[in-house]
Amino acid sequence: MNGTQLQRAGLAIAAFAALAGGFFGLIGRGPLEMLQAIVMAAAGSRYAVGESLLRATPILLCALATLVPARLGLVSVGAEGQLYFGALVGTGALLLAPAPSLQLPVVLLGGLVGGAVWALLPALLRVVADVNETISTLMLNYVASLLVTWLVYGPWKSPQSQGWPASIEFPDSARLPLLGDSRVHAGLLVALVMGIVLHLLFTRSRWGLVLDVLRSNPRLAPLAGLSIARQVLLTMAIGGALAGLAGIAETASVQGRLQAAFANGAGLSGFLVAWLAGSRVLPAMALALLVGGLLAAGDGLQMMTSVPSSAVLVVQGLMFVALLGAGGWRSEVARG
Amino acid sequence: MNLHRQLALLAFAASTAAASVAQAATLGYIYVGPEKDYGYNTSMDIGRQYVEKSIAGTKTLHVENIAETAEVEKVMERMIKQGGASIIFATSYGYLDYAIALGKKYPKVAFLHAGGLKTGDNVGTYWANSDDAMYLAGMAAGAASKSGKLGFIAAFPIPQVVRSINAFTLGAQAMNPAATTTVVWTGGWLQPPKEAEATNSLADAGIDVIGEQVDSPMTIAQTAEKRGIYMVGKDVDVSKLAPKAVLTGASWNWGPTMLKLTKEIQAGTWKPSHVRGDLKDGSVVLDPFGPAVPEGVRKTVLAKKDDILKDKFVVWSGPIAAQDGKPVLPAGTKMPMEQLESMNFFVKGVVGTVQ
Amino acid sequence: MADTSLLQGLPASALRSAAPLLLVLLGECLTQRVGRINLGVEGQMLVGAVAGYGVTALSGEPWLGMAAGAAAAALLSAVYALLTVAARADQFASGLAVWMLGLGASAYAGSGLVGLRIEGFAVGAAGLTPTLWLAVALVPLVALWLYGTRTGLAWRAVGESPGAARAAGITPWRVIVAGIAAGGLLSGLGGAALSIDHTRSWAEGMTAGRGLTAVGLVIVARWNPWLTLPAALLFGLAEALSLRLQAGGSAVPAHLLHTLPYIASLAVFAVTCARLEGGGGPAALRAVFAR
Repeated sequence: MNGTQLQRAGLAIAAFAALAGGFFGLIGRGPLEMLQAIVMAAAGSRYAVGESLLRATPILLCALATLVPARLGLVSVGAEGQLYFGALVGTGALLLAPAPSLQLPVVLLGGLVGGAVWALLPALLRVVADVNETISTLMLNYVASLLVTWLVYGPWKSPQSQGWPASIEFPDSARLPLLGDSRVHAGLLVALVMGIVLHLLFTRSRWGLVLDVLRSNPRLAPLAGLSIARQVLLTMAIGGALAGLAGIAETASVQGRLQAAFANGAGLSGFLVAWLAGSRVLPAMALALLVGGLLAAGDGLQMMTSVPSSAVLVVQGLMFVALLGAGGWRSEVARG
Repeated sequence: MNLHRQLALLAFAASTAAASVAQAATLGYIYVGPEKDYGYNTSMDIGRQYVEKSIAGTKTLHVENIAETAEVEKVMERMIKQGGASIIFATSYGYLDYAIALGKKYPKVAFLHAGGLKTGDNVGTYWANSDDAMYLAGMAAGAASKSGKLGFIAAFPIPQVVRSINAFTLGAQAMNPAATTTVVWTGGWLQPPKEAEATNSLADAGIDVIGEQVDSPMTIAQTAEKRGIYMVGKDVDVSKLAPKAVLTGASWNWGPTMLKLTKEIQAGTWKPSHVRGDLKDGSVVLDPFGPAVPEGVRKTVLAKKDDILKDKFVVWSGPIAAQDGKPVLPAGTKMPMEQLESMNFFVKGVVGTVQ
Repeated sequence: MADTSLLQGLPASALRSAAPLLLVLLGECLTQRVGRINLGVEGQMLVGAVAGYGVTALSGEPWLGMAAGAAAAALLSAVYALLTVAARADQFASGLAVWMLGLGASAYAGSGLVGLRIEGFAVGAAGLTPTLWLAVALVPLVALWLYGTRTGLAWRAVGESPGAARAAGITPWRVIVAGIAAGGLLSGLGGAALSIDHTRSWAEGMTAGRGLTAVGLVIVARWNPWLTLPAALLFGLAEALSLRLQAGGSAVPAHLLHTLPYIASLAVFAVTCARLEGGGGPAALRAVFAR
């Protein structure tokens, strides 16, 4: 980060402290005590750090899912829907009962394919009928979530769950390995690696250049022998696959089964992170960890200080407002 | 020693003695919705406050809006590790498997789950059987309905809800054998606009009494009042909000059960089991009758209540037929608990699907 | 259940579902007309709902509650204005941040209001109430204002090209802030209509995505206030139908029925986009999308 960026980051932190402190004062709590509680709950122990990382993983993947199409200039809000559909297809793959040694790869593949397919729907609509992707992805989010709900209440409801709406449990052979003795799973590593790979692709590869060109001047496309349609489909599919991976990883390794409404806002948080990071990978990774920490701290905060869950949501909103307002996180896409 | 000093010493001794006796535990409570929802979660929270007041020095941690996903496992663990909780009340049905998994990890902590059918070495369940009260409320509903068409608005087709619908219908059919119950699923525990519209669409279809099982009865009660039809409440007594519409209701009273379990755990005499309260032990209360219930009906319903309390009548005893008419329970037999707690069929007279 | 009873009351039910949405829709239409897309309307609606409900409970006057709801939501929309106009932050991110803020603030403020009884508006003929008439009356008012007055022209000009508008002597940022505020007032009215009139209750997050749906439906309505009425009715109809099919004893699973409103909106939107380049709309807004 260069000088101005550091300044802006500092300004953002100061703005957040001021806003959050003001809010806490307003609800009758000591600002310093509360801010301290947040930090402790997010990173005050190995356990807390693990929880923060766990929370951050799907957010990071969804941020990447938003970022890839954004490099082309597409505004996709669809990570949440792609997450659900990836979980759906991945669970479906498990239900086809492959042999235990094949389960994990099959399930992961299902997640990637499912997410990609759900992203290709709005991508095709855009390419064929010029349908704006922001609206179509927004609508499809709700549809994907409802499809999952329908399946776990109906055809996929596990007979062992005594009527409770959830799929069968994912056997150990279908789960991602855990890191250390925490609950953090290998999905985090995949997310970090993919982030670095994408960063390198965007900044150093020909493809990254192609995306930059098409984003800034679409009319150059035919002159340069480039196809916008192809890139739309490609970027959306890659983004969708990443979100789908987040979905199946959450389902298989964290939840242990497919359930309704399990995403917990990861898709939308991911979108915010991506835009706040100006569609740059490295800031997005840092921001995802920060947001994950704040969200994980929320429960700790409720417990330790008896503030209602809504107060935590306000603090989260204030954080984004502070970050946005500090003006340091513009939406231009920069190289690196 | 002068009197003043003697008294001071006495007071000091008493306080230290009290401190060592009241090795009060820290209890953790987790709610699936808002604490102040005027419904299910509020009823659980009232129970928490009851326990807190009843045992001196008890500390309670409470966290709301925790979805029935792995999130709850993290919250419970945090309560144990960072909050020092030794008893956890997991107050929503979907928390069961997480409680059992975490129970294996923390054998010294006691987990009490609301409504589950599985236990562990340190995981027990508690629930109250509200079917009796729903049957009685159904009787009042069946008597009040002029069209013979009743409605039921509920969130999800889980066994507890299916039981309520069936009990409600059986009760109504006791007063009007041709009574039917149309079921509408809102898809969520707390969805006021859908609840309001569901009430309206049922009213438009000629239904004049509505039962419900969603997080809070308040929206349905108020909409029913607006439309001039009747309703039967659940979880909390909602007659204040809809004085004309409410016939009666089935409300929870969790405090005494929670207190009993907490004391057993602290005394070391607790053995994990399925604790089930009911109308008899006061865990469920039949709300007072509203103005629309005539004296004759009140007498009949209360007489039936008496029969239930004296074990002379059991709601879940045969003959019971399913929606398609096929018999499910032959005459004279009682339904076993496993079948009861995993109920996934509707009785004859219910219109709607269990999916 | 007889099939005819299914249709009975369907128009009224569709209208009831549509009314709060129509108000938000008109508001967001105006905001998008000046070239801003505000995803925060969901949070604004919630703030309007909680303020409206609280004031009605305290004062016993539903119209006072409606006014309070409008004011509260306008206040929240000022945050969006500050972010996007003063700080020139990204519109989507700012909208989402405002949404989050509104969701949390309304839940916090509303926890003491749950279970309070209010009288609300008197129910008129066919189960319809004053908020519906308010919403319907505002449609021609807003449309005629936008297309027929000088200020309406100024707003449309800013939405097409702030530069050209400036050349014509208009101050763009003033108009944009006004457009955001108008969106705030109307979304607040919509939220208040939801809590005071439609459900007569308050619960956290009760708008359940209506605000976000409005953002999409503005495009379906082709940014034309006249068309917001059929767009809102479409949504209301889909919702009423999904509940009624169940009440009529349909065996179609409830969750699949609940996807109807979203699929319907998307279908109309797709068809509209296929016919018109970029879907039409103010040029400044198109610039936001086609970055």
